[in-house]
Amino acid sequence: MGIIELALAKVLSSAAVLLFATVLLMATARRISTCAYLFACQSAILTAEVVAVGYFQHIPGAYVIAGVVLLAKVVGIPFALLWLMKKLHTPHDVGASLSPGYSIFVMSGLVVLSFAVVRLYLQELRAAEVILAAAVALILSGAFLMVTRSKALMLMIGLLVLENGIFLAALVTTFGMPLIIEIGIVFDLLIGLLLMGIFVFRIRSTFDHLDVSRLRRLRG
Amino acid sequence: MIELLFVVFLAALLFSTIAAWFVAPNAPGHRIPPLFLLVSVLLGLAIAGKCFLTGSTIYLDFSSHLPFAFGFTVDRLSGFFLMLICGLAAPVALFSSNYSDHYSKAAWKWYWSLVPLFILSMAMVVAASTVFAFMLGWELMTLLSAGLILIEGDSEERRRSVFIYLVMMHAGAAAVFATFLLFLPHAEALTFSAMRVAASGLPNSLRTVIFLLSFIGFGMKAGIVPLHFWLPKAHAIAPSPVSALMSAVMLKTAVYGFIRLAFDLLGNPQPWWGYLVLCAGIATAVLGILYALAENTLKRLLAYSSIENIGLIYIALGVALVFQAHSLPTLAALALIAALFHALNHALFKGLLFLGSGAIYRSTSTLNIEELGGLLSRLPGIGISFLIGCAAISGLPLLNGFVSEWLIFKSLLHGSALEPAPALPLLIGAVALASTLAGACFVKVYGVTFLGRPRSAAANDAKSVPQNMDLSLFAMAVACLVLGIDPGLLLRPLYSLAALLVANATPPPELAVISRTMPLVAAAVGVSLVLALRLMKWGGRRVDTWACGLPGLTERMQYTGTSFSKPLRSVFNAVYKPARKLDVEPVGESYFPASITYQSVRTTSFEKTLYRPAVDFVVAAARQLRRLHTGNIQVYLLYIFLMIVSLLLVLRFL
Amino acid sequence: MNLLANVIQVLILVLAAPLLRGFIARLKAIIQRRRGASIWRPYADLWKLFHKEDLVPKTATAVFRGAPAIGFAVTLVATAFLPLLHSNALVQLDGDIFLFVYLLVIVRFVMSLAALDGGSAFGGMGSSREALVATLAEAPLFLVLTAVAILAKTSSLSQMAQWTTTQNFFDISTVHILAFAALVIVAIAETGRIPVDNPTTHLELTMIHEAMVLEYSGPSLALIEWSQAIKLHVMGALMVALFAPWGMSAVDTAGGLLVALGVYALKLLGLAIGLSIVESSVAKLRMYVVPDFLRVASALAILAVIFTAITKR
Repeated sequence: MGIIELALAKVLSSAAVLLFATVLLMATARRISTCAYLFACQSAILTAEVVAVGYFQHIPGAYVIAGVVLLAKVVGIPFALLWLMKKLHTPHDVGASLSPGYSIFVMSGLVVLSFAVVRLYLQELRAAEVILAAAVALILSGAFLMVTRSKALMLMIGLLVLENGIFLAALVTTFGMPLIIEIGIVFDLLIGLLLMGIFVFRIRSTFDHLDVSRLRRLRG
Repeated sequence: MIELLFVVFLAALLFSTIAAWFVAPNAPGHRIPPLFLLVSVLLGLAIAGKCFLTGSTIYLDFSSHLPFAFGFTVDRLSGFFLMLICGLAAPVALFSSNYSDHYSKAAWKWYWSLVPLFILSMAMVVAASTVFAFMLGWELMTLLSAGLILIEGDSEERRRSVFIYLVMMHAGAAAVFATFLLFLPHAEALTFSAMRVAASGLPNSLRTVIFLLSFIGFGMKAGIVPLHFWLPKAHAIAPSPVSALMSAVMLKTAVYGFIRLAFDLLGNPQPWWGYLVLCAGIATAVLGILYALAENTLKRLLAYSSIENIGLIYIALGVALVFQAHSLPTLAALALIAALFHALNHALFKGLLFLGSGAIYRSTSTLNIEELGGLLSRLPGIGISFLIGCAAISGLPLLNGFVSEWLIFKSLLHGSALEPAPALPLLIGAVALASTLAGACFVKVYGVTFLGRPRSAAANDAKSVPQNMDLSLFAMAVACLVLGIDPGLLLRPLYSLAALLVANATPPPELAVISRTMPLVAAAVGVSLVLALRLMKWGGRRVDTWACGLPGLTERMQYTGTSFSKPLRSVFNAVYKPARKLDVEPVGESYFPASITYQSVRTTSFEKTLYRPAVDFVVAAARQLRRLHTGNIQVYLLYIFLMIVSLLLVLRFL
Repeated sequence: MNLLANVIQVLILVLAAPLLRGFIARLKAIIQRRRGASIWRPYADLWKLFHKEDLVPKTATAVFRGAPAIGFAVTLVATAFLPLLHSNALVQLDGDIFLFVYLLVIVRFVMSLAALDGGSAFGGMGSSREALVATLAEAPLFLVLTAVAILAKTSSLSQMAQWTTTQNFFDISTVHILAFAALVIVAIAETGRIPVDNPTTHLELTMIHEAMVLEYSGPSLALIEWSQAIKLHVMGALMVALFAPWGMSAVDTAGGLLVALGVYALKLLGLAIGLSIVESSVAKLRMYVVPDFLRVASALAILAVIFTAITKR
């Protein structure tokens, strides 16, 4: 038991660092599949975080949540994304409007911003500064990805990263969420993904491409 | 005794002016004015050295003989800058004695009468102890250098540049004068000693206004971005020895003025002053070197490089102010020493480079590096000294540029002790960028000018230069080397100087560290060099350069200055924003055109966004004011009448 | 004993540098499923070059002929600053990180000048591209060293290695991860490996460093190749000293130093494997994409410095 405790303590202390790493790597990624794998890594770190929190706070329901997150976000959603890519024969390019060099500058700025924001509210929330800043950084980076990447699949990944951030923020500030709400969120996400998948097929068959920057002719 | 010597020094400079009028070039005595100037300048160097190294102060007060306060005080700070002035003037005088040989009789006389006066005015500025003496010297510097610029011709273009120069210098002088005048209600007289006493009693808002005015005024003279507009114009068209004096020495008088005011007279800075100076310094350093990288005429490039180095000096000064505001006197002293040392170093290597460009001009009649090449084999003495100058300005170790940049890095690193912690250390990246860009720029300059094949007949038939020119450059190169290998020579006296300006300072350990290490590194490099030379053979069979099997390389197949800087210019495209024009004749024929013309014009963004609108605004305002001049005499009488009535009203209600 | 160990450190850095190069070439060959040359091949190359004739272009001056010697001499002096076996280098002073970097700048400066001295288009091309890469890689290098210096509260490489050995390896520090990532990118740029430059190419589209030394032959070329190998070794040793110095012997006994040597060799082998994998799996970047790559390094380095204030770890 000692080593499990040690490992989980390490998870708690280093999860934030690893999440920052995935955020920065996503900014420089050039292929959609890379982003999908990075999203899987992020969700795996979140799973470990949930397990650690559950272990140290003695919440048995946390293990169920962890299992759900593992199945849905580490295995299910990335698999669905890669399957979609294969079915649609999309080009792998991320469609970035900002080169990797400039993206990572902006992303670094967002990371610093998240720390600055969290510092103001540290007394009210009882969480550790680093992990909360990581949550805000995930939210901001998800939004950044949605704004600067023009491929539809990248918009989905950006939304998923954003949701990851919200989940982490909720997890850390309330020390475990009621199970029902969490399952609700995850199912919400799955339905949304299914719908997006259907939409993507329709976009592709109507316009023959998946580049949202070219959808600008849909003006009133 | 030393007071008398100082008066003799000043009088000697005055006299050598007069001497020039009685001698003519190509006459038997035509070496007398240069020699006289050289001797007087060496006397000045000795006096200044004594004041700086031993701390003895010279007090001269002529106020009782004149209707206004006029006096000289040469303390350690003045002594240091006076040493800088005279130390630079000596090689310049030696160089000019041959450089001016080709001038016409009138030009020669004007040159040798104005140069000593120019040096005298600079000495007056750094030695002044009253505002009147300071401003007199300040304005004389501007006027005399403008005159010296016009010696080499007064075409329309040159006159316009000189006009811009005079206008901006006067604006700066006005700001400086206003700074001094603001002390007035509190200071009993316009002397520096009275102002120093009064400074502690000034209200905070007034101190801030004084600081900002002095920053703008001295910054304009020093060439801080965005007030640097005049610098490339003026320095590029002056005769090379005068450019050397202007760039190496005159800019430092502005630095002297700023240090005198901010550290000595005003004191007790607020943190945001330091940050302001720091930001200005960073912008100046990076932008200056980026503009230098894009230039291909030697003197304009060197002028922009001077802007970069002034930026570095201001960075160090800003850091010193910040540390002083946070009551860290030792660190403030460290940064101040870095600034002063860099001022001296820059004077040395920039003077060297400008004199070198003068020698190149005498030898090939062109300063466009795209037409030069292969000069090292034709002008070996100049070439070697110029190489040392280029290496020094790039901050390579074993030369003086490295020591001052190292001190700047160390003081920035110590900034992690302040809040917010990473602010100053992050600037290490910016200084490193500026320094590496300078290295790239001077690799381009030296490689394209001195190495490779000559790119034009002028370079191919380069005439050899007189020995005096080689000697003057060599002396400065040796100075760079000596200061690089044994910086302790100057760092110890500089610490005594800094201790006077920053109260409660203790010797920073960095000074001892670098003084101990550089000789060691030099010895290590020497030993390894001997080892490396034994491993290789110096001789070698001469063959043609590899040309991919083609018959031979022509000189047009080499890289030019423009092509060398192209990758860097395209990365920093946002700074340059050139206006490009590409004309292909005949139109539409893309594969076999008869001619292709490409034109790329760079106007610095400052001209478009700052100067043009400012000038347009002033002209528009003047045009509006012109409406007051109706030409009708009764309207003018009405103006006088209205003025009297309003004065009476003011008197009644106040 | 202390002095002997310090001198041995310098000798290892200098003499084992070609071996490191041979290792990397052999590992790349294995990954690419070739047989590859022996790991001792670079020594044979150096021996061969030292016994060949020195050919000098007709336009070349003393700058061309002296540059290899100056570069080699300065690289030798630079190796004296690195701690390998124990956290004590032959030369250490507070602030030697800046001196160390600037010594490597001298090598680049003289090589760029020598390339322009040949009077050919290749030399100018190499110099101008090298100027581009070097300018953009220096700032991140300085910032990486600054970030670790702020944490270690010292600016001497030996002291920084000493401080890092007192840290707990399993406490992952954001600053160190970011700084290490930035340093990897900068090291690849400085030593001219794929994806920035291909050390084995001679096509003008793809050369940076090779273009600068195209005119050299014989012992001069041997010195240049050796300096390049020492520089690669030095960058690897820098990474080990700053980020993974555990295993350095704390006491100066012969046994402890031998163990430290073995540990160092293992770490360097790890770095060599990493470099070989990167070089074999990534394509060389286009010339004008390299600044973007270095921008990533700058952003990471800036973030590392900012994080020294945030996480205090």
